[in-house]
Amino acid sequence: MAVMKFLCDTKRCIECNGCVTACSNSNSEALTFGTMRRRVVTLHDGEPGEASISVACMHCSDAPCKAVCPANCFYTTDDGIVLHNKETCIGCGYCFYACPFGAPQFPKKTAFGSRGKMDKCTYCAGGPVPDFSEEEQRLYGANRIAEGKLPLCAEMCSTKALLAGDAEVISSIYRARVAARSNPDTIWGYVPETGN
Amino acid sequence: MIRQCLHRLLLPLILCLLAVNPALASDEQQQQEAALMAQQQKVLAGEQQQLSQLQAQPQASDADLWRAVRAGDAGYTVAPGAESGRLINAVGQEGRLIRDQYVIPTLGAMLVGVFALFLLFYLINGPARLTKGFSGKMVRRWSSADMLLHWLMAISCLLLMITGLIIAWGRHALEGWMSADVWAGLIYGSKTLHDWTGPVFIVSWALCILKWMPLQMFKRYDFNWFMTAGGYVHFGPFKGKHPESGFANAGEKLWFWTLALFGLFISVTGVMLVLPDLVITRENSFVALIIHGFSAAILIGFTIVHIWMATALSEGGLESMVSGYCDENWAIQHHNIWYDEIKADGSLEYKT
Amino acid sequence: MRLTRTSSQVKPADKPSLGLNRRQFLKTAGLSAGGVAAASVLGTGMMRKARAEFIPHDAPVEVKKTICSHCAVGCGIYAHVQEGVWTHQEPAFDHPINSGGHCAKGAAVREVGHGDKRLKYPMKKEGGKWKRISWDEAINEVSAMALKIREESGPDSIFFMGSAKFSNEQAYLYRKFAAMWGTNNVDHSARICHSTTVAGVANTWGYGAQTNSINDMRNAKCMLFVGSNPSEAHPVAMQHILVGKERGAKVIVVDPRFTHTAAKADEYVHIRPGTDIPFIYGLLWHIFDNGWEDKQFIAERVYGMDKIREEVAKFPPEVVENVAGVPKDQMYRVAKTLADNRPGTIVWCMGGTQHHMGNSNTRSYCILQLALGNMGVSGGGTNIFRGHDNVQGATDFGLLFDTLPGYYGLKTGSWQHWCRVWDIDYEWAKSRFDQGTYLGQVPMNSTGIPCSRWQDGVLEDKDKIAQRDNIRMSFFWGQSVNTETRGPVVREALNKMDMVVVVDPYPTMAGVMPERQDGVILLPAATQFETYGSVSASNRSLQWRSKVIEPLFECKPDHEIMYLLAQKFGFEKEMFKHIKVNGTEPLIEDITREFNKGMWTVGYTGQSPERLKLHQENWGTFNVDTMEAAGGPCEGETYGLPWPCWGTPEMKHPGTQILYRTDREVRNGGGTFRARYGVEHDGVNILAEDSWSKGSAIEDGYPEFTDKMLKQLGWWDQLTPEEQVAAEGRNWKTDLSGGIQRVAIANNCIPFGNAKARCIVWTFPDDIPIHREPLYTPRRDLVPIYPTYEDRMVARLPTLYKSIQQQDFAKKFPLVLTSGRLVEYEGGGEETRSNPWLAQLQREMYVEINPQDADDRGIRDGDNVKLFSPDGATIEIKAMVTPRVIPGETFMPFHFAGVFEMKSLAGDYPPGTEPFVIGESANTAMTYGYDVVTQMQETKATLCQIAKA
Repeated sequence: MAVMKFLCDTKRCIECNGCVTACSNSNSEALTFGTMRRRVVTLHDGEPGEASISVACMHCSDAPCKAVCPANCFYTTDDGIVLHNKETCIGCGYCFYACPFGAPQFPKKTAFGSRGKMDKCTYCAGGPVPDFSEEEQRLYGANRIAEGKLPLCAEMCSTKALLAGDAEVISSIYRARVAARSNPDTIWGYVPETGN
Repeated sequence: MIRQCLHRLLLPLILCLLAVNPALASDEQQQQEAALMAQQQKVLAGEQQQLSQLQAQPQASDADLWRAVRAGDAGYTVAPGAESGRLINAVGQEGRLIRDQYVIPTLGAMLVGVFALFLLFYLINGPARLTKGFSGKMVRRWSSADMLLHWLMAISCLLLMITGLIIAWGRHALEGWMSADVWAGLIYGSKTLHDWTGPVFIVSWALCILKWMPLQMFKRYDFNWFMTAGGYVHFGPFKGKHPESGFANAGEKLWFWTLALFGLFISVTGVMLVLPDLVITRENSFVALIIHGFSAAILIGFTIVHIWMATALSEGGLESMVSGYCDENWAIQHHNIWYDEIKADGSLEYKT
Repeated sequence: MRLTRTSSQVKPADKPSLGLNRRQFLKTAGLSAGGVAAASVLGTGMMRKARAEFIPHDAPVEVKKTICSHCAVGCGIYAHVQEGVWTHQEPAFDHPINSGGHCAKGAAVREVGHGDKRLKYPMKKEGGKWKRISWDEAINEVSAMALKIREESGPDSIFFMGSAKFSNEQAYLYRKFAAMWGTNNVDHSARICHSTTVAGVANTWGYGAQTNSINDMRNAKCMLFVGSNPSEAHPVAMQHILVGKERGAKVIVVDPRFTHTAAKADEYVHIRPGTDIPFIYGLLWHIFDNGWEDKQFIAERVYGMDKIREEVAKFPPEVVENVAGVPKDQMYRVAKTLADNRPGTIVWCMGGTQHHMGNSNTRSYCILQLALGNMGVSGGGTNIFRGHDNVQGATDFGLLFDTLPGYYGLKTGSWQHWCRVWDIDYEWAKSRFDQGTYLGQVPMNSTGIPCSRWQDGVLEDKDKIAQRDNIRMSFFWGQSVNTETRGPVVREALNKMDMVVVVDPYPTMAGVMPERQDGVILLPAATQFETYGSVSASNRSLQWRSKVIEPLFECKPDHEIMYLLAQKFGFEKEMFKHIKVNGTEPLIEDITREFNKGMWTVGYTGQSPERLKLHQENWGTFNVDTMEAAGGPCEGETYGLPWPCWGTPEMKHPGTQILYRTDREVRNGGGTFRARYGVEHDGVNILAEDSWSKGSAIEDGYPEFTDKMLKQLGWWDQLTPEEQVAAEGRNWKTDLSGGIQRVAIANNCIPFGNAKARCIVWTFPDDIPIHREPLYTPRRDLVPIYPTYEDRMVARLPTLYKSIQQQDFAKKFPLVLTSGRLVEYEGGGEETRSNPWLAQLQREMYVEINPQDADDRGIRDGDNVKLFSPDGATIEIKAMVTPRVIPGETFMPFHFAGVFEMKSLAGDYPPGTEPFVIGESANTAMTYGYDVVTQMQETKATLCQIAKA
């Protein structure tokens, strides 16, 4: 079984935020103004050594959010994608405290200011409702996985910095890139290309 | 990391005992940090100018970069949010382990353990009976305001405990027994009830503490009470002892002060957790969550003891919180110094 | 089971759903006008209910191929349309330029199909209030006013501001529209973008455009970026740049700011804003000093390098360090890197062009490449990245104050050429213009008023300008006036005109900024996704866009609006003589075919609609490295038939990816430098020597082709009899049959001749690039050494130079100020700030300031600060304290508007059109300063002072 992961190549990421708006585009029905399931962080901004990294839910194998959720609303799909059930989510915020990547967000506030339902990156895989249903679109956004496509953020990455797919595949792409960088003859026959 | 944070959070909590607003303290801290940062930046600015002329090669290796990311270094981002610049904050993982390995088992241990211990004790010991039987004459012990506050706090506290336990334990203990929809309803209802009951508890708790504090100061004779285990034990060396006590006995005082302290902890941390607008860091949130859990465990333990004592163990005990009056013999046996005092100053009031 | 009632999920009005879809709403509300009107009154609350309309996933999908409308990289897009609604945007992995990649803007274009903040129907300001009017009323009112002004003040009193957002067909039609109205007062944002490039580069070697392609940068060994930040301005170009780097290219970034591109570079060079020429000459100093120049290349193909040597000698390392602030050893290192890694390419953008001597800057970059012999080779060239999606096309189609389509100029012969193409009488065209002369200039043949200076055309004393009267009315057709400097003056001009007409999908600043009670008309234009046509990317490739959705609301495509106005102005018969009009919408393909017939100079003649559509259908057959199709229906052709695509479509020229490339036959995209300036200068031959393109029948330099030349060469008989008739008395530019071009190319000669590139442009005020300090310079000590020009008349307007530079502003305004792009926004930002997916990313206008300057002023990151301009304006914005800028220098993004000198204009937008994000406009605080040749505004080197608010 595949294990779906994201990988961001910091030597390619230019903080263009294309991944962020691609996410808004893909999941527009489920998102409100200001809710970004993905964000780009630039370390050492404006200094030599500057590096940008796109981050969202990393779909951890042993997901802390899943472990702490009192409502047990998280589940891991066969593809290793961590999803959650918004109908069961109680908006307690524990997943937000637990997540190392700051992925969970609580866009809607309830009446007296406590959190509404949690929202996070679904790897464009929808949620626990029928595929492509109106409910899925409204609560979780796109279900590109069910269409046989990868998340739009990675597919639309301007410099192919953000890779999505099976962990083994994307890490081998990344390894080859790193090996060949500025040493085009390191791997015989390998020339750095856009997509791989 | 989380231990440092515990220290950091405990400090304002203790300060807040002294009626200092905890928010002020953390503000001050932030300001100090910001001032320090600004100072460092100024020193760096000079170096930076030179660096910008040099090759734009990273001064640190990739490994250093990832180490810094792992350690929680923050960067620039257009995403809103207090911590959005931080790529990795590992505190969640540490906190999750503490919560799952310590807090939740402690909660369970308190609930089941204390209940079981008392049941065992009761079965061996039997209830504490009035040695002289009921006199039939009822003495005023609580005003109606006291009773209102008590029951308000008691009910809210019990609701919080039940809902809180469902939140903490439900997925382990209950979810498997019900359909997904029922579970969803239960857990959502619990969370909602927990959120809404919290303020009721905080208000009633604060009033109770303020109102009853004068009666709850420890006295010299309270030491004796502990030495004789309060006179409730009907076997061994404690048998037949009736230690002296005032309006509240030493055990009740201990309960009161525990409630005062951990009630404060649980209230402050509860507010921190329920209001996302406070914008608290994940470190502080998790520390709050752990303190909330441990405080709950302690309060649950004491509550079980309190209920046992008031109902089953102490004959005639519950009556005073139901009617406001206690039997005269009960007062003499359990609160002799108080009885002597009210008798002496004439404030003793019988039920007519 | 639903645990939350929907009522608890109602979002506050200021946080509308990102998923709201206008088309869906319209369906629910019914297409009745009343429903639409109610929508804007009731605001987003009511529209949310319309979300009930759900398009099932399995509804039939129409896949439309289109091109992103944000920048000139030209990224392909797959638009999925279901039930008339643009439901999905898919990455175009097979597109040869972007391979599916998009920046923030490109990944958000589908939102255009929602159009929350669009202008929905024609509107008019009446008594200070916005009033909805019908199209008929609007067109009547606009045309009546235009005709009245024409009557009173002549045709030149109307200014036609155009747009780089037009398709090629619309751009061409708009230029024709202005020509038939009878004015040269037509211009667009290329004026304030790359006009200095077009002038400088075209005068160096023939064409003022990117010589290679972005894809070709994958083959470079070295890349020098000067005043260019593709990470933010052309993010998808970084795909190719980073691949080039990974293949071993050295990347050098020269910028006053440590940009995201600098972060990816091997070497970052900081120069003081406005010192590009000292920097380039500093590099040339080392190149000449060490003999690194390409001597053979210079001897064969370059004229005037010796004169450059003399000037370069004035810039030894010490001088460059003093003037530009670049350390001596770094200058040597950079020069050596350039010399050791050939072919290398140079990229420049607004950082180089937006200066009052910008034309000299651009020429100096060309000279550097000529010295290194980097021209006409794969991996070399000057890769000038254009800004807007079709700014290259709009420039080529003469949406400029100084030329007709195809850079034909404004001479009588040029007019006669286009009158023949249009099949109209030249005398009639002439009669449309103001007759007589003003300050010695004939209106029909004299340069008009530029996009950067229309405000002076309104406000300047009318005796001092070279036309009959001031500008009294202006069309702002797809242009944001907040991109023009001197904000308060712009506002005053908007206030003074008789009428302001905005034609745009959004109300834009021109509609919102004027402090007037009436006389503003807003006409809702359709976006490029609601129409179709061709668009020219930065690399000169033409790409065909399909119509994705029908125009939203009452919007109409630009060419239809032009037709409606032409009808009222009474020249629709002449204008659309060979263009079919369906109802009121002219047929796009006919417009393409018409310009195919006339654009001989730049080779826009071979790209017929059919060929372009074939390329669109076969994106995937083009190789990303070479841009050429190895097989398939477009075999051998370069993607998008980059101009010059010589001859007629039937000739099947493959397009020219790399200009001036001698190692290929002309028929296969090869070429030489253009013989545009005669055959000799000062008695010296300026044709190429011992250099010609592969297979050329003439193995030496040769002038441009004419009928006489064909006869001399004995090639006249190679023309068909029909071609001979058409070619008689014509040259390669004016022979409408294309015969001359065909025969020249059949002999592998390039129609425009084979000359040397020239380092000396004797027609310009500075014949070689000479450094001149910015008008607002912080280095008073350098003013006597590098003074600016005397005040002078440029085009129709008096223009100030010395009288500004001699004032010392540096004491009161010690901080150097530049401006630039944010990746999330584009241009004036009206469209992108109205797109919630983008607007949520950048919500505040700010100024970047170094920590040292901030500390000195008591400013902390995120504080509100006041920025004072030496021209008198004050704006209040946020401070971003960052090491991106060095002490003494500051930077502002220029996309914001909607707050003017600390006063919000939110209430001045027509209801429901206020963008999600508004802010002070950088250009409110930007100062005077215009290029001496092209009237480019100087926004990249001025002064300011900043204080805590």
